[in-house]
Amino acid sequence: MVAAFDKCETRPANIDAILEGLDRYNPETTTIFQDYVAQQCEDRSFDCYANLALLKLYQFNPHLLQAETATNVLTKALTVFPSPAFSLCLALLPAYTQPFNTDGQAAAQNNDFVESVQKLAQLSTLLESAQYAQFWSTLNSDDLYADLVADVAGFEELVRIRIALEIGKTFREISIDILEQWLDLRSRDALEKFATEVCSWQVDNAAGVVRVPTNKENEVRSEVKSERVGIDMFGRVIRRGFEQAA
Amino acid sequence: MSYEERANARPNLGDDSDVEEEALVNDYREQVNFDDSMSELDRTTSLGAGSQTQDLQAQLAAAATPLEYQATLETKFASYDNYCSLFHYILNSEGPVDLEVPSYYWAWDVIDEFIYQFESFCRYRNRVARSGSNEEEAQLLRENPNTWGCYSVLNVLYSLIQKSQINEQLAAMKRGEDPLAYAGEYGSRPLYKMLGYFSIIGLLRVHCLLGDFSLALKTLDDIEMNKKAMFARVMAAHFTTYYYVGFSYMMMRRYADAIRMFSHILVYVSRTKNFQKGGNSYDAIAKKNDQMYALIAICVALQPTRLDDTIHSALREKYGEQLHRLQQGGPEALPLFEELFRSACPKFISPTPPDFDNPAVNVDPVDHYTGIFMDEIKNTIHNPTIRSYLKLYTTMDLKKLAGFLEVEPEKLRSWLLVNKQRSRQVRWIEGGLLEGEPAVANDLDYALESDLIHVSETKAGRRLVDWYLRNLARVY
Repeated sequence: MVAAFDKCETRPANIDAILEGLDRYNPETTTIFQDYVAQQCEDRSFDCYANLALLKLYQFNPHLLQAETATNVLTKALTVFPSPAFSLCLALLPAYTQPFNTDGQAAAQNNDFVESVQKLAQLSTLLESAQYAQFWSTLNSDDLYADLVADVAGFEELVRIRIALEIGKTFREISIDILEQWLDLRSRDALEKFATEVCSWQVDNAAGVVRVPTNKENEVRSEVKSERVGIDMFGRVIRRGFEQAA
Repeated sequence: MSYEERANARPNLGDDSDVEEEALVNDYREQVNFDDSMSELDRTTSLGAGSQTQDLQAQLAAAATPLEYQATLETKFASYDNYCSLFHYILNSEGPVDLEVPSYYWAWDVIDEFIYQFESFCRYRNRVARSGSNEEEAQLLRENPNTWGCYSVLNVLYSLIQKSQINEQLAAMKRGEDPLAYAGEYGSRPLYKMLGYFSIIGLLRVHCLLGDFSLALKTLDDIEMNKKAMFARVMAAHFTTYYYVGFSYMMMRRYADAIRMFSHILVYVSRTKNFQKGGNSYDAIAKKNDQMYALIAICVALQPTRLDDTIHSALREKYGEQLHRLQQGGPEALPLFEELFRSACPKFISPTPPDFDNPAVNVDPVDHYTGIFMDEIKNTIHNPTIRSYLKLYTTMDLKKLAGFLEVEPEKLRSWLLVNKQRSRQVRWIEGGLLEGEPAVANDLDYALESDLIHVSETKAGRRLVDWYLRNLARVY
């Protein structure tokens, strides 16, 4: 059972109360939500629904917008890919941020916030399209990225685990060379440690591969789905049988 | 076998749905007839205005009447003031007001028109700022930043919901209790109850227009999405609800749920088609109808699904060639995805006044949302290609497949990962609209053992019950 989108296990009661009521529109709650984002950045939790409420407050009250908090919300959303979280956050940002504008128009505006959003959107695209090697090289290519993810504790680790999770769903066996690039773990020791301790995978150095134990996603079974037959489907026929007899 | 019989023989439409639907169809007939008498009513009220009550009657009628297409800014401001004073009167009088409302459908018309004017005002304001040509209007808009403000619009909707205790009433109905026990002084009156109820639908729409898709769905927590729901009694409300719910699902990448919503309403509309022709809302409904077919085409391309027969043939008729191109995928299909999305998405708005001094920084909100949606399409555009190839094999070498597709093996690995991810989707089972369970949304599954792709296909067994029932209905 996955929690519904509007729920979050780690959400404090006071935040929950605000979200349920009309205070979610009250500009005075902005600081509470901002503190909550800071807390999520520290303790590595993520509450998409609450963060969207903060972005909505920014949407309605542009003068309250704190660029840094807004980009932190986006950065946090990156750590739960693949999911619609990032694009739902973008949807509440002002249209002038033009997250996927590549023709450089916005650069002319010379706005740091716009530039940050566009950079993060680029990272999101790389993650969502599973170009993990490019993701790491892009992330490491510019100091601006380092600034953007600096507030999010364990950003790289969170993303790495997420990538590993996706690999585990699709692969039963993967070559060490590819894994190195995808996880950005260049030393063999670190890679082995991560694969065995964090993911519980088996490293086969002789064959140069890492084996992923069978899980629900990568076992791949063929099956024939049979039809569900319930008595209710025959209701009409049965009813008619009775009616005609009478 | 006639269409009617086939529709009746389809078991998955719900067993009591036919009786329900007949009732709705009759109801709709009444509405159409009613609209005619409504226009007469308009004429009589406009004859004599002057005294207090008649002034109020005029306000009530005006609130439900669309503005002229070429209405000036002054008219729009005046219309906003009219709504403000009307809602103020309804909400803040001492005790519930005893109003004789022109009609049962009046409540929907008022909320619908209220939001429509908000939407078109915001879009107009944004357009004035972007073009930067009409300095006079820009100045007028600059001086009135709070007219049609998002806070006042939401305030009206939320106040109507709270005053009528409609959510409490609906929750009670869900539990099988008597809603009147929770209705209170206001909510027990049809005026407040209906305004409150349609304000929920209105909120769904406003949230969606502002790009808050999860909150849009959350708003409907207390409303049950079925034909027994109150919104189903007013055709336009029924239609609007499913359009915005389906669209919100689509933006949350829950395509299976989006398809379910669009199919539901489109099947219903196809059955009531004969009656719409007479109605004056026919054009609006026909347009939304086409939009939903476009959206369903997008969703089906992203997530291959077996559609209801009626929908499937109508879709082939309207978008046959485009659907084929969408389903083929590949970069060539991108412009088509964008074109259909733009033609079928809601008219998104920006809730705050634009920057009149720098026309260049104002971006059309529709462009913003199209960009966000298209990013996801670009990321998944190779899924159809992957699927069509893998269907042919049980095992396949990755490098060989990469050779067929003329791409780098590294790229192909990414495509395989993406396709696998997107074939897992949250799907609604029960409870609130935001709830759901992850489900495998695809009959094709695979796993990689280094460079060897193992493919498996889930086959659907023969569907005998449908066939059996259909034939039974014919001979027996």
